[in-house]
Amino acid sequence: MRYTLILGFILFMIGLWAMLTRKNLFKIVIGFSIIDTGVHLIIVTIGYLSGKTAPILDKLVTPANAVQKVVDPIPSALVLTAIVIGLAVTALMLSYVVRLYKRRKSLSIEDYRELKW
Amino acid sequence: MVNPIMIFILFLGTAFLFALFDKIHRKFSFAILQLVLLINTFIAGQWLYKFVFTSQTPVMIFTAGFKPPFSINLRMGLEEAFILFAVNFVGLLSALYLSKSFKHSKVYPLVLYLMMIMGVNGIVMTRDLFNLFVFLEISSISTYALIALKENEQRLASGFKYMIASGLASVFFLLGTIFIYHITGTLNIDQIITHKSFVITSLGFLSVFTLMMSLIIELKPFPANGWALDVYQTTTSGVVSIIAVANSAGVFYAFYKLLPLIPHNQLLFIAGIGIVSFLFSNLIAIKQTDSRRLLGYSSIAQIGLLITVTALTRYLHVKSSTSLFIISSIFLSNFIAKAGLFWIAGIIKKTHIKEWAILRFKPGLLIIFGVFIFALVGIPPFPNFWAKWDLIRFLALSKLHIWIILILLGSLLEAFYLFRWFGSIVRSEQNEEQLLQPAYKTVPIIIFFLLLIIISIGIPIHIYQFDILPLLPIVGLLILSIFDFLPSKLKAIISMIIIAGYTLYIYPVLSGVSLVFAFIFLAGSFIQLIATMSRKGTDKGFFPLLVGMILSMGSLLVARSSLEFFFAWELMTITAYMLVLRGRKAEKPALLFILFSLAGAYLLLSGLSYAHVINFSLVGLGTIPISAHMLPITAFILIVVAFLIKVGAVGFHIWLPGSYAEAEDDTTSFMSSILSKTGIFGMLILLLFLLKMNMHHSALFTSMLGWIGIFTVFFGSLMAIFQEDVKYLLAYSSMGQLGYIVLCMAAMSHLGWVSGLYLAVNHLFFKAMILLAVAGVISRVGTRNMYEMGGLIKKMPYSFISVLIGIIALSGVPPLSGFGAKWLIYTALLEKGWYFRAGLSFFASAIAFLYLFRLIHTIFLGQPKPQHQNVKEASPFFLIPQFLFIFAIMAISMFPNLIIKPLSTFINPYFASTIQWQGNTLYSSLGYWNGNLVMYVTMGVFMLLLIWLIISIGRVQKVKQFNIVFAAERPFKPTTTHFAHNFYAHYKRALGTFVRPVTTGFWNGVGEWISSAAGSIRQIYSGNGQTYVLYILLYFIVLYFIMGGK
Repeated sequence: MRYTLILGFILFMIGLWAMLTRKNLFKIVIGFSIIDTGVHLIIVTIGYLSGKTAPILDKLVTPANAVQKVVDPIPSALVLTAIVIGLAVTALMLSYVVRLYKRRKSLSIEDYRELKW
Repeated sequence: MVNPIMIFILFLGTAFLFALFDKIHRKFSFAILQLVLLINTFIAGQWLYKFVFTSQTPVMIFTAGFKPPFSINLRMGLEEAFILFAVNFVGLLSALYLSKSFKHSKVYPLVLYLMMIMGVNGIVMTRDLFNLFVFLEISSISTYALIALKENEQRLASGFKYMIASGLASVFFLLGTIFIYHITGTLNIDQIITHKSFVITSLGFLSVFTLMMSLIIELKPFPANGWALDVYQTTTSGVVSIIAVANSAGVFYAFYKLLPLIPHNQLLFIAGIGIVSFLFSNLIAIKQTDSRRLLGYSSIAQIGLLITVTALTRYLHVKSSTSLFIISSIFLSNFIAKAGLFWIAGIIKKTHIKEWAILRFKPGLLIIFGVFIFALVGIPPFPNFWAKWDLIRFLALSKLHIWIILILLGSLLEAFYLFRWFGSIVRSEQNEEQLLQPAYKTVPIIIFFLLLIIISIGIPIHIYQFDILPLLPIVGLLILSIFDFLPSKLKAIISMIIIAGYTLYIYPVLSGVSLVFAFIFLAGSFIQLIATMSRKGTDKGFFPLLVGMILSMGSLLVARSSLEFFFAWELMTITAYMLVLRGRKAEKPALLFILFSLAGAYLLLSGLSYAHVINFSLVGLGTIPISAHMLPITAFILIVVAFLIKVGAVGFHIWLPGSYAEAEDDTTSFMSSILSKTGIFGMLILLLFLLKMNMHHSALFTSMLGWIGIFTVFFGSLMAIFQEDVKYLLAYSSMGQLGYIVLCMAAMSHLGWVSGLYLAVNHLFFKAMILLAVAGVISRVGTRNMYEMGGLIKKMPYSFISVLIGIIALSGVPPLSGFGAKWLIYTALLEKGWYFRAGLSFFASAIAFLYLFRLIHTIFLGQPKPQHQNVKEASPFFLIPQFLFIFAIMAISMFPNLIIKPLSTFINPYFASTIQWQGNTLYSSLGYWNGNLVMYVTMGVFMLLLIWLIISIGRVQKVKQFNIVFAAERPFKPTTTHFAHNFYAHYKRALGTFVRPVTTGFWNGVGEWISSAAGSIRQIYSGNGQTYVLYILLYFIVLYFIMGGK
């Protein structure tokens, strides 16, 4: 569990680094996506209880013994939602980038700063 | 009652069907959209009604058949109903506003629009932390997409910046949520709050910090808000008004909901975040010329204020009903005004604030624009005013001094750029342009305007239990507005009737000194109203404002509590500002006027808040027991400075000459002879408190006040003699005369006060007279420069007489009333032992002679100018009031006891009298004065000379204008013989050092310093989206350590 948590934070940092240093709009979006992935990993890790199985009721996991057998189901449910939302945001960001590129033929964020002060 | 869950069902149920609806017709799908928003507004409104007017308690709505924490629950309480109503309503109106854009777009924006509003509804109602995240994202994603409605490059760029900034914030929100879940084992907000002790652990603190900060980032705090400004600047009006008000409202409510998680000792940090945002946004906005970006700065500032106020009221444990009132008033003012202003921006379609000048030709829209701006600044009766009043009181009670200073400072900055904008529109010289005002755009604006008015009238009546008396100025203003289409003469008569009626109405309440001021404020105005009949045409707007101002002065007299007094004071200020702004070149002077007046009002507000009495007013004074601690020293100083600003005391006088001079000519006489006395009236109340209180150092204070008074006299008079413009001359003269009154009041003796009030009344007579005469002259000769006049004595003999009488009365030459005034003043000062001040005031009187001589010499004597060959006497409407005043002056000169006896009786309750009457002779400890005798002697001497003149007139030969030889030359132009320009050049060489514009220089320096600070600070908004992301990150880190994270 420790390792996935650390991995999650490492991904978070990598993504943040990309967002802060890459000038290319696509790379910034990818950075954001990596951050998102890192966070999802952290969420899942937090719900994980070592040695337990997925929170799906079947032959082995019955409603009676589920509490002893499965990991915390809530983070798993949350992460699904978060993934969907992350997907939507990323897709929207990408479509913005495409539109911006179509208009100005530039992918550098430094070319989009007329609005200031 | 409709289950609030219906709101979501309606949104979601219809949104997915929109593609189908649209197949039928766009009109149909748009109608469905409107209908959904209308029904939801209705549902929220119904709940709001229940919470406000019945004893309905908040309800929880459970979902999925489980109780929390196993399911999501929603809450519907007063706060929720209030915000939901506002949000759905603004959604409805903005949809109407956008109807044309929606007509030509694809169907998706309609769906997105619904989703955006639904997201906000969810944010407000949900009590589940993760659900809150989901709704935040729903509303954000639809907002991102809607920004690109009517796509252009700038919108795309700002939208992208918004996405990466806000995306990062929501990632932090998610992290905070999951860690809180990890620690508490629940996502239910109420349960988390009950177990909030976990915050003391470092992980607990970190998670709550992350959660709250991400919400605060969404609220656009300075400096991590560059992206938001870009969005405000570029997005189309209908959408940006939703982003600025509805989305912000939702996120703000989420913040409000989660604020209990913040430990009590950290609340001040949160308040600090808000105040930094408030101050700096308002500061930077000063440099902004893009109208939408300016509104953006103002929005961010207002949200910052809301954060501060929410955190502070929580910190102080303010009663929840009161804190709710304060927060919701600030919220509503910004909500309505900002949405309205963004909508107006969409009609104007101009970016630069100067280009908004086309509003000038659309009076209806201009009035609405003005009202929205006044609402933002917190002018009475708009909600912000009441919020400010309560808020500052609480802060003062809790001794949070620095917060008071910061909040008022920020408000002043905001008032500065908003009023500058307003003034530049009203006074612009741009030509008329075509302005399309389609109904679908104006209707939402008008509805919000009416809503604001209704709320503003409802608050004083329902919450502060105001009866009709303090509201009469507004009633008067409205009555005259209704009759504004009538010709000026008729409106002047209506105004006179209203003022007479008002006087009769309040007469029973008046007694003692308030009678004196009622005479000045109301009777003085009544007579001067005759002069306004000379106005031609309908002259729209003048009379409503004038009546509003006069009645607010009356309101000051009969105010029963500090609040009523302050209410009247601010009403008077704003109406006077609008009157000054009517002057043709009054843009800058009016701005200075409102800026200094508001600064004064804020000082008064804080002073009243520090006072331990709630009835600072003349009426209230009688009702409270004597106590030594009624006014602490801070309160005393704050209040006295406020009044000194109003009278234009030296150091605070720079607003005075310009606004008196550039106001319209008849307005000037109201301002100088009447309005300026309100400061004296206030000071009188303050000194009465001082008398009652027996305060420490009171002798020191009054002595200081005396010095301020005498220096005002000295510098005012000195500056008056070097003016070329007659109105500037008289404005400075006014300043000097008011200085005398302050000096007399400061003497704190029977004779001092009698002479102060005597001078106040006398000043009304002669200053109104001179100013009206001068107004008449200006109306005929068309210039204010004295050197361009001359020899008008033959053309305008009546005006000459009244100026002559006026200057005799002013200068203090026997036999007229001014002599009595001076006699009283010197006696009072000598009696007090203020010898140096007496000497200085004697000297200043001599200076006054100089400017008075110049006044009469350069205008009426000497050689007439050729262009004034056909000048006629001033209009009788100007002359009638002048002669009424002459009559009054003659009466009190002849029979001084007519006025001094009553004054003396009014002062008797406060000081033991040191003067006695024997017949018509007034005895003081230093000597005696008999007005009759003085009159007879002077008249006798005058008659002797006159008789001699008449006898010798036979030998006089009449000469024509140029029948003279001057230095061996025969002049052909009057200018060569009538020396009037730079009249006192020789004195200027001698005394010029005293009139160097030190004060002006100082205030200019302050202005430049502020402006350049704003200029440098705004450089942080580099325009680069990546930099903004960095700011957000740094903001997190820095605040984490400031707030004591480990």
